[in-house]
Amino acid sequence: MNKILWIILFFLLLLIGKSRGVKTFFSFLLSMILIIIYIILMGLGLNAIILALIICILASIISIFFLNGYSKKTISAFLGVMAVLVIVFIILYIIGNRASIGGFGDESLETIGAFSYDINYSMVKVMIGMYLVSVIGTIIDTSISVSSAMNEVLENNPKIKKDELYKSGMNIGADILSTTINTLYFALISTFIGFFMWHRFMSIELIINYKVFAQDIILLLITFIGSILIIPITSYISSRLLLKKK
Amino acid sequence: MKKKNIIILLVISIVCIIFVYHDYFLYKTPIVKVTNIDNKIEKIESNKEKHYIQNITGTIMNGKYKGNKIGMVNHYSTSLIYGDKIEKNSDVFVKLTSDGNKISSIESIKRDKYIVILFVIFIDLIILIAGKKGIKTLVSFFSNVAITIFAIVLFNNNYEKINILLLYLIISIIFIVLSLFITNGKSKKTLSAIISSIVALLLSFSLSFILVKIFGKTLNIWGMEYIDVVHDYHNFFYVCILLCGLGAIMDIAITISSSLNELIEKNAKISKKDLLKSGKVISKDIVGTMINVMLFTCYTSVIPTVLLAIKNNMPVATALNFYADLELTIVLCNCVGIALTIPVSLYISILILNNRKVVKK
Repeated sequence: MNKILWIILFFLLLLIGKSRGVKTFFSFLLSMILIIIYIILMGLGLNAIILALIICILASIISIFFLNGYSKKTISAFLGVMAVLVIVFIILYIIGNRASIGGFGDESLETIGAFSYDINYSMVKVMIGMYLVSVIGTIIDTSISVSSAMNEVLENNPKIKKDELYKSGMNIGADILSTTINTLYFALISTFIGFFMWHRFMSIELIINYKVFAQDIILLLITFIGSILIIPITSYISSRLLLKKK
Repeated sequence: MKKKNIIILLVISIVCIIFVYHDYFLYKTPIVKVTNIDNKIEKIESNKEKHYIQNITGTIMNGKYKGNKIGMVNHYSTSLIYGDKIEKNSDVFVKLTSDGNKISSIESIKRDKYIVILFVIFIDLIILIAGKKGIKTLVSFFSNVAITIFAIVLFNNNYEKINILLLYLIISIIFIVLSLFITNGKSKKTLSAIISSIVALLLSFSLSFILVKIFGKTLNIWGMEYIDVVHDYHNFFYVCILLCGLGAIMDIAITISSSLNELIEKNAKISKKDLLKSGKVISKDIVGTMINVMLFTCYTSVIPTVLLAIKNNMPVATALNFYADLELTIVLCNCVGIALTIPVSLYISILILNNRKVVKK
């Protein structure tokens, strides 16, 4: 089934984007391989959070520099992504341990029941790492959009001042924001539908504090927060970097 | 944004956070605030990882026995796969014995404060950074949430009578119309985005539907999360495919239709061919990042289960095949859908935006 989908995807991308489509396909494949390597390395027992950070940096390098070339525009997008990654990581680290978001809930007992729990590997760290990797896709997307649009503004109006450029970056970002929030909401909503079907007899007060619900909603909110934070940060970095004389 | 408004926003946020730290009276389930923890290592010879016993003392914060001091015991191990490590000063939900002197079990950690803190950060950031546009985004977001809750409640109360796939097909069209309308206002740009989204959604969903029907026999649908509560589990799988890419489809449709609209407004005499050409350039840029977003946001949810399987010495390929195959199918179906959306919304946008222009003349 998935082989056929891969093939269809390849030909569609080829049809739409020609050589760039092929590049898109392979960068997608590469991201997929990165995620699998990430899982394998965790399986070998390396630290989940450090691994996640490395994977995020690699993924940003691939989709920023490999797909969009090396220029001031892409450098500022990359720096913005790194800054947001650090902030998101700090928020997750503080909340993750206190809220005990690692592990599985009752609904997974059937699946995980076949396994031994004795793996000596902290699931809270796995969860924090997983969140970081989930967030990275959308912040890269927004960061590139903001910095390339700002570059466009600068090219059309080379005498623009720092503050004006920053403002136009924020404006562009605000325009992108509504569709980004929408995209993320729907990408993550189907788990909630299943969740509420399963727990239809559970009281609201226990649901709100339930581990799996917290896991899902923290993922949703942290991707939102990341994709908002990236806007001022990339605008700021781009407005300084793009205007720097060669 | 005015300074006064920012201060009001921050005050409201702080009040919300303080409130959620003291909201014990809202709950019927007894809550214990942990005042002291004594951690001990539990000796289980055969295990790799460390097991701990926590002797916990705390105060009951609500209900009939408010103020009583009480003790309890919690077990956890390093991996925390099932169960929680309880930290000092956290709140836990408990089940009390009928006389209220002892705790019969620990139900859950009180996590509402963390959710509220993140939620407040989200709302504050979006308003501070995007201003009026941010508020519009919030309105569209909350209306989507309201519709989702409505659909969930409707289905939960009538789950034997309603076809879940049909329900969400209707709901997703409402999602498209409402969220594009709220964020972009009434214009032909919005109209063309709405029509493109609906056509693209139906087209890409039918394609996925047919592909899964023909080639999906090998799919292990029973491996899906939550699947055993659903009567028509095949349809639940289709609902997941349908919703996952919905936002992305809308995103592409509105991006294409507003950039084409821009081109037409700047140059009223632009030919159809030129429009198509610039539209194609724009779309090449979006599709790559969009399918990457899908992959990172959706596919990563398989990580904990696959990891647990690998840690239990299952070969990586087998684990991925067993626990990540369905998620990959959902992501790939939606990537195909995203790629399909581009030509669909290009042609529809040109048709609508260009035609109207002629009528005006």
